[in-house]
Amino acid sequence: MDHMTSSSRTQWISGITLIVILFVLPVFLNEFGRTGEYWIWVSTEMIIMALFAMSLNLILGFGGMVSFGHAAFFGVGAYTVALLTKKADLPLFLALAAAPFTAAITAAIVGWFCVRLLGLYFAILTLAFGQLLYMIVFQWYTFTGGDDGILGIPRPEILGPTNFYWFCLVLFLICFFVMKMIVSSSFGLSIKTIRENMERAKFIGINVRRYQLLNFIIAGAFAGLAGGMLAELNRFAQPDFLHWSKSAEPILASLVGGMYSLAGPAIGSTVLIFLKIFLQQIHPSMVELWAIVLGAAILVVVLFAPSGLVGLYQNIYKKFQS
Amino acid sequence: MATPILSIENLSKSFEGNQIFSNVSFSVDQGELSAIIGPNGAGKTTLFNLITGALVPDEGKIIFQGRNIVGMEPFDIVRLGMARAFQRTNIFPKMTVLENIVITIITRLKGNLRFVKPWNSSRKIERQAFGILESVGLADKAHQLSGTLAHGNQKRLDIGVALALEPKLLLLDEPVAGMSPDERWETVELIKELWNEMSITMVFIEHDMDIVFGISQKVRVLCYKSLLAQGPPSEISANKQVIEAYLGEEV
Repeated sequence: MDHMTSSSRTQWISGITLIVILFVLPVFLNEFGRTGEYWIWVSTEMIIMALFAMSLNLILGFGGMVSFGHAAFFGVGAYTVALLTKKADLPLFLALAAAPFTAAITAAIVGWFCVRLLGLYFAILTLAFGQLLYMIVFQWYTFTGGDDGILGIPRPEILGPTNFYWFCLVLFLICFFVMKMIVSSSFGLSIKTIRENMERAKFIGINVRRYQLLNFIIAGAFAGLAGGMLAELNRFAQPDFLHWSKSAEPILASLVGGMYSLAGPAIGSTVLIFLKIFLQQIHPSMVELWAIVLGAAILVVVLFAPSGLVGLYQNIYKKFQS
Repeated sequence: MATPILSIENLSKSFEGNQIFSNVSFSVDQGELSAIIGPNGAGKTTLFNLITGALVPDEGKIIFQGRNIVGMEPFDIVRLGMARAFQRTNIFPKMTVLENIVITIITRLKGNLRFVKPWNSSRKIERQAFGILESVGLADKAHQLSGTLAHGNQKRLDIGVALALEPKLLLLDEPVAGMSPDERWETVELIKELWNEMSITMVFIEHDMDIVFGISQKVRVLCYKSLLAQGPPSEISANKQVIEAYLGEEV
């Protein structure tokens, strides 16, 4: 028992240290002029994509459902912010608050059909719905701006790069703790139970589809918020946000980071973005190598650390203790 | 006078033109401990699948506590008070033994939609769970991952999960299959004890005739797509048709 409390204490201490570092980071980066400002922008993107990856992992890691259409909800969130701020002149905060709702409604409709199917069929149907929404956004010029997207999303004066970073960090932390609460709740245990053995779950009285749908909607809502935040960071929304390749990003992030922990996908996402930008910094042409580097990274993880970086860390930590 | 808790009326089922049951009817009295026997392929497990809603019959009624449950979803039937333990162990392997029981209790109490409190914050549920683990002899393994338990213990946990539903009717599909001889009798004793203490109606499928005739009050024989015979063990073991069709090979 002592063991557990001491390990949870180290967890708390390292968690709080990390949060403090994250808050102080832009102050430090601001010392470096334009380069620093660029890295603040990158860090903000990392935070947003970490939230996106964690949102997918609610269904992927905790729910055991592979979705190839998660970017659809991310994109719906992004377009919600873009359309509400640009066309309806709503303040950013209201538009951002609306993003998870529109994404959740979309997820409810898509999910209602998808949870009727299992495994690969579920995955393919999410892909089909995702691409369907992508095509709608891509072609509906009068509403979504088609392949041009929506440019020039207004930014409130107060939200300079540093303030916007902090704003996103606070939103991320709130979402992190809400997700932590959800996965440790009775609902979270129900979801894990379904992942572990769907058939048996029915025979202890769990309405499997209902909880899968609810989980799908919750994951969609968080993805929508992340999408809205990215639209505001970039100050544009484009159809690519809904594309299936965008859906692959959080899957890869979860794989690399470890999908059986809450923070794993966030860590995986951050590491992958860092690698990509690191390549870019060495030489712009190196980006062409990105696919190879990504492939190699995934290969290493699958072969040597199947439970991701978090699993790797836990194994090393255990060895150190014994 | 005992009233039936479960009545099967004219049940028929076929798979791709292959008739499994035709016109099977019987009823299970409240509080009885009974066995279903029959040769391999007689459809014993299929019968359980039909009763629990995993399969839908082509024809016939299944009346559970006065209510026709044909066409209901398995999870709704469970909520009416029917639980089953499986022939092949069917638990939640990457969850601890305690978690297996706790989620079952949470589900019985309809607590699945709680999003805020941690699932392990209820002392009351934990106490109940330990009570059940105690009764199936797994309390000392509560924090072990259930997938790492020995086979016999996994089957006991499977029974424990079913008990956590506080069922009125418990269907056990070969509860001692794959166990060592010692484990078998331990488990049989356990089943009998649970039946004595909890006033649950129990129906079990079993191949071991010593067990069947040792503990059941009533035996039903499934054979040739229908119910060949039913009655107290003494009657069944003396039934010529049953001996010819089934017991003859073994006894």
